Amino acid sequence: MNNNDFSVKTALQICQVFFLMILTACTTTEIDQFRQSDTEISADESIVILGRRQGTSHETELDFVECVGDVVASGNDGINVIPEETFLDEMFPFFEPRTAPMRTDHLEQLMAQDIAAEKLEDFGVEYIVWLDGLTQRSGETGSISCAVGPGGGGCFGFGTWTDDSNFEAEIWDMDTLTSAGAISADANGQSYLPAIFLPIPLLARVESNVCSGMGEQLKSFLNGSV
Amino acid sequence: MIGSTHNLKHMFSRFRISTLLFLCCALVSCSSVSTINIEGSYPSPLVSQLPLTLGVIYDNAFSDYSFTEVDEYSGEDQYIINSGASQVELFSTILPAVFNQVIYLSSADEASEYPNLDIIFTPAIEEFQIGLPQKTRLDVYEIWVKYNMRLTAPNGSSIADWVMTAYGKAPQSTFGSVDAGVNEAAIEAFRDLAATFSLGLTSIPEVNNWLQVNNVL
Repeated sequence: MNNNDFSVKTALQICQVFFLMILTACTTTEIDQFRQSDTEISADESIVILGRRQGTSHETELDFVECVGDVVASGNDGINVIPEETFLDEMFPFFEPRTAPMRTDHLEQLMAQDIAAEKLEDFGVEYIVWLDGLTQRSGETGSISCAVGPGGGGCFGFGTWTDDSNFEAEIWDMDTLTSAGAISADANGQSYLPAIFLPIPLLARVESNVCSGMGEQLKSFLNGSV
Repeated sequence: MIGSTHNLKHMFSRFRISTLLFLCCALVSCSSVSTINIEGSYPSPLVSQLPLTLGVIYDNAFSDYSFTEVDEYSGEDQYIINSGASQVELFSTILPAVFNQVIYLSSADEASEYPNLDIIFTPAIEEFQIGLPQKTRLDVYEIWVKYNMRLTAPNGSSIADWVMTAYGKAPQSTFGSVDAGVNEAAIEAFRDLAATFSLGLTSIPEVNNWLQVNNVL
């Protein structure tokens, strides 16, 4: 066996390892739905998706809320979604972390105030969706060392971790002032970061998968198709 | 040959000076204080306006309010957070929404020039705390502020000393730099203050009593 054969064989083995990693750096997503009442939404009606930020341990990220909103608004069956920031500013101070309704009976109290009820009617909000959850990283192992010298630099090593996303969407019907249902999305995935001269991130798209899964399910739920 | 040796010596000398300057700059930057000027915009609250004329006094302690976070290990100033201007902007947004007319006063003595004044309002900051992820080991930047919302009658008699706290937090994952994280946490805290003030003012027993006595409610 000459040196060229050895190089080709080694390169193929490295490719196989990367291919296996790409296959395993995938995400498992589970979506559950609980419906309490029928829902339907017309083209001139809107929804607003708000992140829960009352917890001390975590707060639902603005980017995630925006991502779910984009999915719900996309496609032929897309729904009008009022941007969270616009809604919070226009409805200020009724949906701030300290003042936002936590339950539907709080929503009834809010709607009893003419000034808030009129503004919500102006918006044409048919449903309020509360998103709550977070993505946690665990099981971080491995190490990567990088060095720079006169002849150049490089990294060598291997790192891996697990991302776990848990989100729940609670849907409030603004006509009946009751909960229409809830959707939960759980996902986890293993990411890898091998480094041979350069770090090559093989990332599990956990949160983006939850976002698209949650968004599509929410759209179907509100359109009454599931 | 002599010329090239001279050039080499000159280059080496310049290199030494540059290195020295670089190290000095590095040392200065290591020990320098970071100043954060809180900047943000605030929405006008959606509340029923009280038919009252309010005189507001932003004293220097409030309008120039600055908090210094001291490094617990070195004892040196670490961050200077200037929030006075932003808080004046906040009150200048919420007060005209809550009260029918707002008059800005430079001092309580000036109140006698405005006979239609109903209440004089003097906000004051009693405590200011900051939580940085590197110290709290939490994934959020936090700001906590304790206020005294002092309400007096134009004749100087006290209506209420409303002590309230405001809290705001910003996730570290969204706001990578300390400046951006602290700024966002402060804006959240000021929004919290504005929400509590605009919704809770008439529920404060002393204020509620005064409003009823003066046939406002």
